[in-house]
Amino acid sequence: MTTETVQPPKRSPRRRSFAPRYPGWLTAPSLIYYMIFFLGPLAILVVFSVATQAGFGSVSYTFSTSQFKALNDPLYIKVFRQTMLMAAGGTALTIAIGYPVAYWMSRYLTRYKTLALLLVIVPFWTSFLIRTYALKIILDPQGYLAHFVEWTGISNQFNVLYTGKAVAIGLAYNYLPLLILPVYASLERMDWKLVEAATDLGASPFKAFRQITLPLTLPGLITGALLVFIPMCGEYVVPQLLGGGQFAFVGTVIGSNFLGAQNWPFGSAMAIAFMVLLSIFVVIYIAFATREEQFGA
Amino acid sequence: MTEHDSKLNILAPIETRPRLDRLERLVRRSGGGRMTRAEALGLGGLALLAAAGCGGKTSTGGGGGASSSGAADPLAGKPMESNLVIYNWSQYDDPSTYKSFKTENHVAIKETYYSSNDELLAKLQAGGTGYDIIVPSQNAVGELVQLGSLMKLDKALIPNASAVESSWVKTSYDPTGEYKVVKDFGVTGFFYNNKIVTEKPTTMKQFYDLLPKYGKVGRTNLLDGAEEVVPLALMALGYDPNTGDPAVLDKAKSFLLSIRSGVTTIDSSNYINDASAGKIILGQGWNGDMRRIVSARKKKGDDITAVLPQGASEKWADNWCIPASAPDPVAAHAWINHLCDPAVAVKEMEYHNYPIPIQAALDQAPAELKNDTLFNVPTSYTDHYKFILNPSAEIVNARTQIYTAFQSA
Repeated sequence: MTTETVQPPKRSPRRRSFAPRYPGWLTAPSLIYYMIFFLGPLAILVVFSVATQAGFGSVSYTFSTSQFKALNDPLYIKVFRQTMLMAAGGTALTIAIGYPVAYWMSRYLTRYKTLALLLVIVPFWTSFLIRTYALKIILDPQGYLAHFVEWTGISNQFNVLYTGKAVAIGLAYNYLPLLILPVYASLERMDWKLVEAATDLGASPFKAFRQITLPLTLPGLITGALLVFIPMCGEYVVPQLLGGGQFAFVGTVIGSNFLGAQNWPFGSAMAIAFMVLLSIFVVIYIAFATREEQFGA
Repeated sequence: MTEHDSKLNILAPIETRPRLDRLERLVRRSGGGRMTRAEALGLGGLALLAAAGCGGKTSTGGGGGASSSGAADPLAGKPMESNLVIYNWSQYDDPSTYKSFKTENHVAIKETYYSSNDELLAKLQAGGTGYDIIVPSQNAVGELVQLGSLMKLDKALIPNASAVESSWVKTSYDPTGEYKVVKDFGVTGFFYNNKIVTEKPTTMKQFYDLLPKYGKVGRTNLLDGAEEVVPLALMALGYDPNTGDPAVLDKAKSFLLSIRSGVTTIDSSNYINDASAGKIILGQGWNGDMRRIVSARKKKGDDITAVLPQGASEKWADNWCIPASAPDPVAAHAWINHLCDPAVAVKEMEYHNYPIPIQAALDQAPAELKNDTLFNVPTSYTDHYKFILNPSAEIVNARTQIYTAFQSA
């Protein structure tokens, strides 16, 4: 074997651009905003997380990993696990509802595509809180939906509100557009001739979907799934309102440590630890987002 | 009543508070209902996280050092200032009170609002000054006294305060009675649907013991927050609510976990509406809220019985205090004196529906208030009830941890 390699033809390092070049300092306002309101608070959080509590709402600035050690407690590991399981459940439900909708919009609609897209986004314009309260009314065991379900005989006791099911429904409903849009985009960009070719070659519709459509839209699907999974992990309002306050999400526990216990170092440490954990998913997200760009699927 | 408003603590920026309050007021008035304090708090709670988030932090002892109104009387004979800055819970005082104070004293009043004691403490600890009057609950008074942030009141300038019932002057959170005048108070009890729950529970312990049975039948509710759940359970078991003894706290934890399966919801801000709609069959509640629930159910089968527990339960008090850094201390004292005037106190009680411990005022209160034990809680009950305090950061952390375990169980 020779080790000779064929050099790919070198592209010129910079293509000539005819676009006007603006001075870079024009981005200064955005960067300053970003630093003050995003990186600054993050830095404060990091400083708090290695400090120790010195009484109510007061902090002694040291470098101590004691907060993180205290986090390594079966209780908090359980809270982390429960949060991620609930978010995973919510994400699965979102995919189960969102993917078919996106598929239908992209594949079956022509004239009303834009209208359908609009209808997906419109609920998003309403306040998150109001939508969640609305779900409380819909899921009420004495509400219309409950009467309907009991009337049809599907179940004689419609007991959904203040259970994990209600939290999953609330999560899925609130984040649905964030999944539908990327999936829809990747379905739109897909070359449907590939599916035609597959069926011509004798593939069943299911096989064609599994072997062509799904792999090609997977980057979009994963992007969407993480786009909903990550904020679901940080959810605070939905478990409070629809779970009746009986689900300890990470956000809820951070809240009670900051506000109730005024233990800012511990709350910060919890926030930082969870952020690190979620970064793993962000890395997956970036990997898929770039892959999607490469394949353009 | 402590930090029970942790329900909706995010979402709205703090600047929108006055607008939200105005909206809420409009809705309430047009609906003919009277707003309870808990509801005002729940709504106001929206702004809380924002406030806490940007509160920043200082080490303890901020606030310019404790005032030393020791031997000499620095305020006597001083002229009234022309301003008064009040930092208060929203809609907690009758508008006519402000009017009469302004006309009597020619003082311009500026009022801003907070929605929880945490918000108040964060503001003061972050070096917030310029307030003449604050209205902390009992646990916050304790903390502020520890921090040296409160001015010793000059009782000579508050002659009307002598009418405050003696049991509300020297309290466990202010043993000398020098730092506060009680604004109003309330207690925690429970209620049940008397068509479903047949046992007639009379103590908090009996209430807890019924939860596993009735949690299967319908919705049961506990008041939320570590500072409610853990101390209330401690009291039901016969312990000091403010204990830091790990063995005792452990007992409370295992007791709470043993009844956990019987608890459907843990909520303090929506339970009034849900219970008024007949959706809760067994739940804890504050006396003022329970009054509303009972009267709402009167026409719908009269199926709710509210109970002031025998034995131990929680009592809370909101208090008039003056920060050590108050720029207008004379006007602040005059304000407290004005609020202790029985005629003013009656109007106040009619407005906010919480009792003020001044007998002369209670005597003049409308019969439907003063004859209702859910409003005018007899001292035979309150004498056995205890204040829930925040004795130390360690104890509060331990409570929070138990509460997290309870929630996630």
